[in-house]
Amino acid sequence: MINEEILDKILKKVEKPGRYIGREQNSVIKDLNDIDTRFAFAFPDIYDVGMSHLGLHILYNLLNKEKGIYCERVFAPWVDFEDELRKNNIPLFSLETKSPIKDFDFIGFTLQYEMSYTNILNMLDLGDIAIRSKDRKEKDPFVIAGGPCVYNPETLSEIVDIFVIGESEELILEIMKIHKEWKKENKYKVDFLERISKLQGVYIPSFYEVTYKEDGTIKERIPKKESYPKVIKKRIIKNLDDTYYPEKLIIPYVEIVHDRIMLEIFRGCTRGCRFCQAGMIYRPVRERSVESLLELSKKLVDATGHEEISLSSLSTSDYSRLDELVTKLIDEFKEKRIGLALPSLRLDSFSLEIIEKIQKIRKTGLTFAPEAGSQRLRDVINKGIEEENLIDSVKNAFELGWSTVKLYFMIGLPTETKEDVYGIKDLSYKVKEVFFKLPREKRKGNLRVTSSASCFVPKPFTPFQWHPQDTIDEFKEKQNLLKDIIKDRKVNFNTHDARLSFLEGVFARGDRKVCEVLIKAWEKGCKFDGWSNIFDYEKWKQTFDELDIDPSFYANRKRDYDEILPWDFISVGVTKKYLIKENEKALKGELTKDCREGCTGCGINTKFTGGVC
Amino acid sequence: MKTLRVKFKKGNELKYISHLDLMRLFQRAFRRANIPVKYSEGYNPHPKFSFATALAVGVSSDGEYMDVELIKDINPDVFIDRMNEILPEGIKILKAKYTKSKKSLMALLRWSTYVIELNFKSITKDKMQSIIDDILSKEEILITKTKKKRKKVITREVNIRPNIKDISILILKENKAIIKTTLRTGSAGNLKPEVLVEQIKNKENIELIDDETKIQRLDLFIEKNGEIVTPV
Repeated sequence: MINEEILDKILKKVEKPGRYIGREQNSVIKDLNDIDTRFAFAFPDIYDVGMSHLGLHILYNLLNKEKGIYCERVFAPWVDFEDELRKNNIPLFSLETKSPIKDFDFIGFTLQYEMSYTNILNMLDLGDIAIRSKDRKEKDPFVIAGGPCVYNPETLSEIVDIFVIGESEELILEIMKIHKEWKKENKYKVDFLERISKLQGVYIPSFYEVTYKEDGTIKERIPKKESYPKVIKKRIIKNLDDTYYPEKLIIPYVEIVHDRIMLEIFRGCTRGCRFCQAGMIYRPVRERSVESLLELSKKLVDATGHEEISLSSLSTSDYSRLDELVTKLIDEFKEKRIGLALPSLRLDSFSLEIIEKIQKIRKTGLTFAPEAGSQRLRDVINKGIEEENLIDSVKNAFELGWSTVKLYFMIGLPTETKEDVYGIKDLSYKVKEVFFKLPREKRKGNLRVTSSASCFVPKPFTPFQWHPQDTIDEFKEKQNLLKDIIKDRKVNFNTHDARLSFLEGVFARGDRKVCEVLIKAWEKGCKFDGWSNIFDYEKWKQTFDELDIDPSFYANRKRDYDEILPWDFISVGVTKKYLIKENEKALKGELTKDCREGCTGCGINTKFTGGVC
Repeated sequence: MKTLRVKFKKGNELKYISHLDLMRLFQRAFRRANIPVKYSEGYNPHPKFSFATALAVGVSSDGEYMDVELIKDINPDVFIDRMNEILPEGIKILKAKYTKSKKSLMALLRWSTYVIELNFKSITKDKMQSIIDDILSKEEILITKTKKKRKKVITREVNIRPNIKDISILILKENKAIIKTTLRTGSAGNLKPEVLVEQIKNKENIELIDDETKIQRLDLFIEKNGEIVTPV
């Protein structure tokens, strides 16, 4: 336990001290004497961000439901609090019992975003734990990691002891069970790792060696022992209704980014957009039933008093009984003035009807994601939106009284030409014209179109995993082009920092060698890289130079189909053959249908689900 | 329309949550406790309740007040029980009573009493008393207030002496002084206890250990028919 009196002094000096006090309602307090396994759920960003993450709430409650396990939370301290911790020699501590994270059996990081990796190192260091796996002692905690970024775990292979690949609701409990047995036997850490390496979804990076060719690409991956699995299969949960979902959520005191009940309605997505990693790795689609969602939402409202429920999924409109669900939720919670948020909607006419129902309670802006400016490029990425549909939906929305529209685009998509880039302007302006073509009496409010163009980052396990990412200069050129031509009081244009997207690209498709870059950049002071006020690109550049590692080898190089990719040893169900086929179709601008209209042969149903999707 | 005037405490456990955090906490608590609170109209309906005054982050209080508008009659004792059942440790409803007052709590508010723990490198009772006497004997204590208006910084001198009603020593032991003070609070004049601490700190020949100062509000007072009383 850390000294509460010193903590009290520090809290007076920092911004939003409520982030560090714990004690929230529905957080779990247990007697440490009854505990076999202590698990610190670590989120590599500040409390406000981490507490908005649904996975945290699921795993926290799932683990704490077990008698002998105590899961506590730890977040990255904001820079002011970090300074005070270091100055006062206070190690990073858990919110529940204020224990140093070194006292735990496991420190479990969730990897949501590549540019939060430096915070992982920083948190370990603040907890007085060695950064490198090999430098940690027998009594030190295991560092375990899960989340979407572990589909390419190699960039953290020197740091993390155990990767959990796929959905971990079942797997984490299997690991905990083995840990309990192992702890009683008083054996070495490696014995534990060997035992869990047999579980589907577990990857122990230290059990493998990787050799490289002269050109820097991978030559071979060699398991250090015959018994270590050559292929790591991701874990999935077969029936969502049967899986654990928390009936309580911690009620934060300070305002967090998504301050609402998150209700996961389904996993996976059938659309098959070719840039989208989530759409590939989370297959197959599995829905929760309307009945169990209603039941859950009532319990969650009772337990938290939240004023808003947000339906969470990759593509809310694709929930098969959305209309029924929304109608029933509105009926249930109208009295209590609880709003409903439906992010990730495809804005067709059907969805607008549903949104209208909701907006009788609360009205917000509308977001459309055409992703690309031209029809040609939208076909390349298999984003089945026709310009006509989009214009119709926008018109419909304006007639219903909306006047604030956001449009999301990407620049740097494969095969992109200048015309495609100009298309971003054209589409934004067309949306504006739709508004002013309406008769004056039909227009409501003040039109505001906000178009933003992010920089495309090719991700593992997508059909675009072989493509070179645009260079920083190419991104900047396209951004400037658009900034020069989008000059309208009604149309706002935003871009993302190309340098940050470039680094994201390096770590998304990096191999074991970039792990050194990460460590060195952190040593130079990099942390909170996703925060523009802290991000320091110069330090990263220096790091690459000093280590003589060329970042463009990872980000901007075109890879061949026969190259061994760093993440090839992981099986997500979707086959490489399918990804190649999709990439080839992309280059020809051919569409692939939504797989609810017929199987497109991605492979998920042969490897994981025994024939059904 | 029914308005409940409610007294509550914000304990040491939750002194680090802000005024806005506390508002959110009560919004959710009303919903969880099934209190028939009145909601505002419009697209973003929110429950109608208002605090007498904000409490600074880091300050605990035994006497905070709010008015809660209800759409249905509810027995004040039932209100207290239901709320306390679901409120977190650190927040507790102490009293609740219907009010017919047309004026808001904020407009009625006049004084706050505080207990302040001050830790010095070295202090004696006589020294502490002389500091207090010195402050109270003055007719005028001027401080400089700065205000930012657009890009301009405007400074003005303010006399805070009328905002200090009394200061007394409760305990003095081992270089720790616990004092009690009554300060002006509300729209007709306001003095933060931190400003008084600053005055004490700036006296000659003493050294205050800044980060060990603890402030607690004891109660709030309003003016009712010319008398100074607690709101409930």
